[in-house]
Amino acid sequence: MKREHLLILAIVAALVAWPLLMGNYAVAQANRAMIYALAALSFSLLAGRLGWFSLCQTTFAGISGYTVAILGVRYGLPFPLVVLLALLLTTFSAVIFGLLTVRSRKVSFLMLTLALGQMVWALSFQWVDVTGGYNGIAGVRMPVYGGVDLNDTRIFYVMVTTVTVAIFLAMWRLYRSPFGLLLLGIQENEQRMRALGHPVALARFSAFVLAGAIAGVAGVFLVYDMGIMSPSPLGLGHAVWVLTAAVLGGYRSLLGPAIGVAILITLETLVAQYTDRHMMVIGLVLLLSILLMPRGLAEVLEQRFKRKSKPQASVTTTTRGE
Amino acid sequence: MKYTKTLIVSSVSALAVGAAAHLQADDTLRIGVIGPTTGVFSFFGEQQRMGVELAQEELADQLEALNIEVEFYDSQGDAETTVDRLRAMESRDDIDLVVGPVLGGTGLAGLEWAKGSGMPTVISYSAPEDITMRDRAENVVRAGWTGAQPMFAFGEYVAKELGYKRIVMVGQDYSFPYNQAGGFMKTFCRAGGESVERIWHPTGTSDYSSILATLPDGDAVLYNGAGSDGLAFFQQYHDFGIDARMPLLGGSNFFAVGNLPEMGDQAIGGLSALQYAEGLESDSFLSFRDAFWAMHGDEVMPLAPAEHGYVAFKMAVSAFDSANGGDRDEVIAALRETEMPDAPRGPFHLDEYGNPVQNIYINEVQEVDGRLVNVPIRTYENVSQFGPFEAEEYLAGEPDSRDFPPSDCSDPYYD
Repeated sequence: MKREHLLILAIVAALVAWPLLMGNYAVAQANRAMIYALAALSFSLLAGRLGWFSLCQTTFAGISGYTVAILGVRYGLPFPLVVLLALLLTTFSAVIFGLLTVRSRKVSFLMLTLALGQMVWALSFQWVDVTGGYNGIAGVRMPVYGGVDLNDTRIFYVMVTTVTVAIFLAMWRLYRSPFGLLLLGIQENEQRMRALGHPVALARFSAFVLAGAIAGVAGVFLVYDMGIMSPSPLGLGHAVWVLTAAVLGGYRSLLGPAIGVAILITLETLVAQYTDRHMMVIGLVLLLSILLMPRGLAEVLEQRFKRKSKPQASVTTTTRGE
Repeated sequence: MKYTKTLIVSSVSALAVGAAAHLQADDTLRIGVIGPTTGVFSFFGEQQRMGVELAQEELADQLEALNIEVEFYDSQGDAETTVDRLRAMESRDDIDLVVGPVLGGTGLAGLEWAKGSGMPTVISYSAPEDITMRDRAENVVRAGWTGAQPMFAFGEYVAKELGYKRIVMVGQDYSFPYNQAGGFMKTFCRAGGESVERIWHPTGTSDYSSILATLPDGDAVLYNGAGSDGLAFFQQYHDFGIDARMPLLGGSNFFAVGNLPEMGDQAIGGLSALQYAEGLESDSFLSFRDAFWAMHGDEVMPLAPAEHGYVAFKMAVSAFDSANGGDRDEVIAALRETEMPDAPRGPFHLDEYGNPVQNIYINEVQEVDGRLVNVPIRTYENVSQFGPFEAEEYLAGEPDSRDFPPSDCSDPYYD
């Protein structure tokens, strides 16, 4: 346990040092990385704990973003209320989607989330009166409180970091709580869990709604970061991007999705500076890393890190359920 | 504690790399050019890039004298990527002026970013009218057009010169075609038209049989869209033999952008309107085209996105020149004063909202030297983004949408 606390401390220290040492662009990139880390966390909560691969987590972020844009720009509601309503509405839509998907498994779950995600994407594209269609809704800004402009990259960074760290810490606790273990148990042997008297369907459903809410938080930050809400973040490309990041980093571990997002964003930023064929390079890196580290980078690191310490029960090193 | 050591070493080295990458501040002026050079819209981005490269070559001496460097960025046609690249330009690469974006959605995202940053920006091909209308910003001007702008001329031409009364419009269901439809209908209906019936289909439709089988009667069909959808529509329209019953007119991008070789001879005679035509015969156009061919090979026809990139870059350089350096306010002021008497497309100047007032050409597809090209058969001079309307009156009106303006020309709206 000590090592884990050390790791948390190191991450927090790095997050504090980042804006003090780096330029504006690096800070803006960190903001994006954390926003997508939340989206990837939302994906991994379902994929890693339940074996549910969802293609609609970015859709929840999109629903939340559109709510912020519509209520904030069109109706001019105050900032805290807008955020609250966006999170409520996203959670509510996660409840609806959850009711529709809770009974499905594996491929049918994937297809259902794909269909739901694409429906919302199409809606955002075509319901022009509400969403602004392809053009989207521009001018989504955070307010200025007492001379402090919340849109400033570094102030925004403080907000995103605080919320992201808090959510990751909460998930760290949740992953080892009885609820988190129950989810793993369901993935490994659903019937046994049911026989033991656990409310399997309810646990699944709760995890789905929780994942939706986390994606909703990501969506709020995403729209304020961009300043404009358009259908593009709801597209299939973004859903697949999040899936890629989570798989690259290792969706079974807590930090895996964040690591995957950080690597992908760094790669994109560095490689795109030198060549237009950056997707080739990134594709190659993905190919190699998935061939060499099928369980993701985080688990490779974890194995190395744990080798010398005495064996301990850990929820993140399960080898079953593949 | 081996792990701690690794962690410390790696974080220190990461910071060192970051700090090294961050050092860049001198008196060089940098122009950042952004467009979709990868992805499905890469055609537009590549055209812009080729146009800018040509301008770079022509202005080489001036660029050296003013100490101007150019960097190219790929927007991937995505709003979020665009914002990310723009941020990189400003805070990582020390860019002083942006040329682009090219596409509608990325243009609006770029505008939103430019408002926050104050960066002098010359939007090139991106056409949403609000960029230089309801959402306009002092530091953002446009070298290109609004969706409605060429259609103001086309609506009038179709009603007056062709004498068509009833138009059936089939179009892609998003904001650019709405804006094109709006421009068309506002003049068509006031110049003697009777009705414009709109049929919208989702982008990415490849089968038009259900639309074509139930196509209402009219004097002509106007396909309000482009790209692979436009090509599929064009072919099926002819397969169904509807061309014998009703002629097919095009939205601004329909015959203009890259599809002509696939459309083949059936496209000959096709009419559309744009502020550009690759069949222009003016001296400034011919020298532009020949230089473009000399640089990029004559199998690539320079189209509107190339010319707009070329012109936008020239606007940027001349603004730096007259501002005598990088002072932002002076550069912006100089940009807003832009006059281009000898642009390849024809002379233009910016209106007070920052959009070109320019020639609109009614183009007919003709075969010239074995190639299909859009040849201007009629020129409407000095068309602004407001068409024949007063700016205040236009801005006070409802923005174009899926079903605005009204289909029926006898609607009181048109009085």
